[in-house]
Amino acid sequence: MLNDAAYHPQPGRYDEAIADDGTMRPAWAGVGSALADMRPIDLLDRQRQADRLLDAEGAGHLVHDLLPDDASGIVGSGGSSGSGGSGGSVADSRPWRLDPLPLVIAHDEFRQLTRAAAQRVRVLEAVLADLYGPRRLVRSGVLPAEVLFAIPSLRTTVATHAASRWLVHYAVDLVRLADGSWRVVQDSTDAPSGAGYAMMNRSVVARVMPDTVRRAGVAPVNGFAAVMRRALAAQSPVGRRSPRTVVLTGGPTHPTYVEHSYLAVQLGYHLAEGGDLVVRKNRVWMRALDGMEPVDVIYRRLEDAGLDPLDARTVGGAGIPGVTWAAQSGGVSLANAFGTRLAEEPALVPYLPAAAAELLGETLDLAALAPTDDPASAPCLSSWTPGALVPGTVVLRMHLAVTPDGVTAMDGGVGRVLAPGDDPRLPTARVVKDVWVVGGPAPTRLVTRSVQTRVDFGASVPKRAADALYWMGRAAERAEVVARTTRLVAAQVQQDPSLLSVAGGGWGTGAIALLRAAQGLSTSATDGRGPNGAAPLVDRVQHELQGGQQAVAAQLASLVHEAMTVREFLSTTTGRVLGRLARLRADLVSSLAAPDDLDVVLVDLAALAGLAMESTVRGPAWRFLDLARRLERALALLGSIEAALGIDTEPLALQPLAESLLAANESLVAYRRRYRSDVELGDVVDLLVHDDANPRSLAFQLDRLREHMASLAWQEGADLVQQASLGALTHVDDAVVGGRHMAVDALVLATRGPLLQLGDAVVRRWFADPVNPMMMGNS
Amino acid sequence: MTADAPPDAPPDATTPTPPLRFAVVHRTEYEYSSPMSDGYTVAHLLPRETPTQRVVSAAIEVDPEPDEFEEHTDVFGNRVVRLGVHRPHDRLVVTGRCMVDVDAAGGSAGLPSASATWERTAALLTSARGELADEVGRFAAHTTATPTLVSLDELVGDLYVPGTPILDVVRGLSTRIHREFVFDAEFSDVSTPIAAVFDARRGVCQDFAHLMIACLRSRGLAARYVSGYIETVPPPGQPKLTGSDASHAWCSVWVPDHGWVDADPTNDQVPPQRHVTVAWGRDYFDVTPVRGVVIGPAATQRLTVGVDVTSGDAT
Repeated sequence: MLNDAAYHPQPGRYDEAIADDGTMRPAWAGVGSALADMRPIDLLDRQRQADRLLDAEGAGHLVHDLLPDDASGIVGSGGSSGSGGSGGSVADSRPWRLDPLPLVIAHDEFRQLTRAAAQRVRVLEAVLADLYGPRRLVRSGVLPAEVLFAIPSLRTTVATHAASRWLVHYAVDLVRLADGSWRVVQDSTDAPSGAGYAMMNRSVVARVMPDTVRRAGVAPVNGFAAVMRRALAAQSPVGRRSPRTVVLTGGPTHPTYVEHSYLAVQLGYHLAEGGDLVVRKNRVWMRALDGMEPVDVIYRRLEDAGLDPLDARTVGGAGIPGVTWAAQSGGVSLANAFGTRLAEEPALVPYLPAAAAELLGETLDLAALAPTDDPASAPCLSSWTPGALVPGTVVLRMHLAVTPDGVTAMDGGVGRVLAPGDDPRLPTARVVKDVWVVGGPAPTRLVTRSVQTRVDFGASVPKRAADALYWMGRAAERAEVVARTTRLVAAQVQQDPSLLSVAGGGWGTGAIALLRAAQGLSTSATDGRGPNGAAPLVDRVQHELQGGQQAVAAQLASLVHEAMTVREFLSTTTGRVLGRLARLRADLVSSLAAPDDLDVVLVDLAALAGLAMESTVRGPAWRFLDLARRLERALALLGSIEAALGIDTEPLALQPLAESLLAANESLVAYRRRYRSDVELGDVVDLLVHDDANPRSLAFQLDRLREHMASLAWQEGADLVQQASLGALTHVDDAVVGGRHMAVDALVLATRGPLLQLGDAVVRRWFADPVNPMMMGNS
Repeated sequence: MTADAPPDAPPDATTPTPPLRFAVVHRTEYEYSSPMSDGYTVAHLLPRETPTQRVVSAAIEVDPEPDEFEEHTDVFGNRVVRLGVHRPHDRLVVTGRCMVDVDAAGGSAGLPSASATWERTAALLTSARGELADEVGRFAAHTTATPTLVSLDELVGDLYVPGTPILDVVRGLSTRIHREFVFDAEFSDVSTPIAAVFDARRGVCQDFAHLMIACLRSRGLAARYVSGYIETVPPPGQPKLTGSDASHAWCSVWVPDHGWVDADPTNDQVPPQRHVTVAWGRDYFDVTPVRGVVIGPAATQRLTVGVDVTSGDAT
C-alpha cells in the first residue's frame, strides 16, 4: 500500500517512508513489504484488533468511565435500576487509539537522537543544580532573575535545595522538519509520562502484526523496565542496602493512572496513592496491613505541584504532607527530585543554549521548534477515509533513564499524531503510533542478574489495596449470585410459563423473593414482596428480572472499579477478563442485553474466580479477596434459603422452589447425583448448609473463613466465625427434623448476625484509617 | 542575612537615638473536632537580623511537645521552622516569642535626601550582574500574588514622571494606596486576588503590600514583601488590650546606592516607625507565618490567633 498509488507523500516535504525519488526508505522496507499484501480493510481490522487488546491491557481507562456509577455500585445496594446513564460505550471513552502502522526510525539515526537527548539530560541536570544552588546563570546575566523568580514551579523552601540527583527519568518530544532535521517540542522532567504506554502499545502491535515486527527486526522496548529498576535502585538513600520502592500515583482520577498501574506491574513495585504513605521524622512509611513499612525510593508519577501540601505553592491539599522535607533531609529519594518541573518550563527554553554553553561549554545538538518551522510527515491511517493512508505529522516521545552506567534510552517510544492545526505540545487527535527502531544489531536477550538485593514488600500490602481487593471480592461474588439467580428464573419462566401458576402463584412469589434476596433487597411479607404488589404475577417477575440485570451491572461496575485500583495484584489474564466484564456491563446498562447474555457474564465471572484461585499468589492480597468472596457467598446463601424456604413459603410450592434454590446455588446437579430422587427438603438443607464437601455450602464457606482468620491471627474474626458456625449447628437439626415446616428462619438469623458483624469488623480492624489530609487555616 | 548585607547600607553608627526594644508574642492555636494522628507545620516566626534590627532572643514553643522540630534557612535567608506531631492530638498551639532591638528611624532621618530616578533604578537592575542580579533582581519578578494589573498601573501611572527620584515614587505610591483603599479586615483573606482587592478598593495590610509591590515591579523595580509586626497604640485613655495587635505586612524597595527602604502603605509610613521584621520574600506565600496540614478523620477546625507587641524592656 505504501509504494503504490495508495499513498501520496506531500510534495516538497520530508516523508518518513518515501524518499524524494519515490522509492521507499530502507528502514521502512519491512513495513512496506508487509503492507504490500494488505488491503485497506486489513489495516482497519488490525486497528480494531488493537482497540480490543488495548481495552484489555489497560482496561484501567474504564475507571474514568465507571466513576460516576460508583455510588450505585455499592455491594448489597442492589436493584439500582436507575443507574443507567453512563452507558457510553467503551470505544467512546478510549483515551487513545493505536494506529497499527508504526513510525519507523533507522537505528543509526535513532542513535544520534539518543546522543542528543542524553546531552539534554546532562544540560538540564546542570541547569537544575545551578538554579537551586549557586545560580551562576543568574549572576552571569544568562538568565534574568526576574524571569526565574516569576516561575511558580521554582521551589524556594530551602536555601540549599540540593538533590543528589535531579533527573532519573527524562522524556523529550521531538518533531522532524520538512528538511529532515529534528527539533525539540518540549522536555519532560517533572513526572514524564509515556514509557508505560510505549511498552503497552508494543505488546499490542506485536500481537496485531507479529510477522511484520519479527521480519523488520524491531528493537524491543520492554527492556526499559529493567533499566528503570536499575536507575531507581541507584537512588537509594545512603546506607540502605535493600531499597524499598513504590510507584506513587495520584489515584484513579489522575489522567495517566492507567500507565501508573501498568508501570507498577512492569517494574514489580507497589502502586501507592498519597494516602498510603505517611511521613514521620523525615522517613516515609507505607500503611500496610501489618503496620508501617519503610519506603526508600519513590518513583513519583505525581507532579511537583501536587506532591506536598506543605509546600507554599502546592495546589490544593493533595499529596503527602512532609514528603519534600523527608526528601530534602535525605530520608527518602524522590525520582525525579522535587523541583524538577522547573527544567521543563517554557519560560526557560530561550535561555537553554546559553546555559549549556555557560555551565558545560557545550552546544546543544537539538534546537527548539520555532513557530515558523514546517514539520515533516509520515504515513498515517486516515481518520476520514477508512483504511486509507495519508501523510500526517507525528511527534516522537523518547524516554531516557539515568543509571549508574550512564544515560540509557528506550529503543522506541510513542509517536503522537497531530490533527491539522494542532499545537505539537498538545496533540488533540488522541491517535498514537508505536515507534520502531530498525536496522540495529540483532537484539540480544540480556540475562541480567539483579545486582541489588531486591526486596519488594513481600507479604506487605497497602491497607488501601487490601480494602479494594476485599470489596472487589464481595462485588464479584454478589454479581455472580444475582446473575445466576436472574438467569435461572428467566430460563425457568421461559421454558415453563405454567410454573407461575403452581401452588396458586406460590412458586412465582417465591421466585420473586429469590430474585430480591439475590439483589440484597427486602423479601419480608410485610412489604407485599416488593413493589407492584397488586400487579399480575408475570409482570412482577419481569420487573424483578429487569432489576436483576441492572443489579448485575451495578455490581460489575463496582467490581471493575475496585479491581482497577489494585491492578498490580492481578494477573494479565485477569485484566482481560475485567475488560470483557466492563464491556458486558455497558451492554447491560444500555438494555441491549438479552437474558442469555447473563450466561456470558457468568462464564467471565467464573473465569475471574478461577484466576483468583489459580493465578494469584496466596499472600494477604489474595486472602482478603477470598475472604470477601466466602463471606458474601455465605450471606447470599442464607438470603436465598430464607427466600425460598422461609416461613412464608406456600407448602405446595416448596418442591419446585427447592429446585430453584439448589440451582441458584449451583448445587442442583450435585443434589441429583447424590440423592437420585425427588427433592427432599431435609436433604436440600443438608447439602446447602451442612455438607462441607459442597463448595457452595455454608459449612464450606465457614471452614474457609476459619482458615483465613487463623492465617490473619485475628481473634475477633475467629470468634465471629465460631458464633456463625454454632448458629448453623444449633438450628440445622431443627430444620431437618421439622420436615415441611422447617425452622429455617431461626437458622438464618442465628448465622447471619455474626457474619454481618464480621463484615463490619473486617473493615474496622484492617482498613479504616484516617488518611485525609486537611489544610490548617493560615494565620 | 549575610546574603543581603552588601546591597544594604550599614546602620548609621552616629545615630543618637537609642534603639527601641520590642517584645512579641505570636500565638496560633488550632482546635480540631476529632483527634488528628499527624500534624505538620511550617512556621516563619523567628525574626531575622537586618541592618537596623538585632535579635535579642527568639524561640518557638509548641504544645503538645512536637515529635520533630527542625530549623532551616530558605532561599531568601529567612529562618523556617518545621515541626511535626505524630500522635493523636485535638489541639495544637504554636507560640513564637521574640525580643528585638530596632534602630529608631526617626521619621525620614535614615533616608538619603536624594535618590536615583526610578528609570535609572530599573536600568541598573536590568543590566545587573553578580549578587545584585540574584539577590535584588529576584524581587523584580511578578508572582501570582503580585501580577501586572493594567487598571492598577493606570491608578498610579501619574507618579512615574520621568526623572522622579525613586524615593519620591515610593512615598507617592504609599500615600496613594493609603488614600484610595479602605482597610477592611472582613473583605479579604489570603486567597483573595489583588484584582478583587483593587476593584473593591478595600483589603488588609497583605493586600496593600501586594498592591504596592505589583505597582513597582510593573516598572522593572525590585520590591519585596516583608512580614512582621507593628506595635499598636490604644486610643487615648484606654488600656492596651492583650492580643489586640496583629501580624503585619509591608514592602521594601531597593534604592541604588542606599539599599532596601521599607514602606508601609497601610499606615502610609516611609520608613515605618514601630515595626518588627520577621521575614521577607516575593509575596505572602514565601513567608506565611504558620502553615500546616493535619491527617486524621474528617473534622472541623477552629483557628485562634493572638499577637502582642510591647515596647520597652518589658521582659
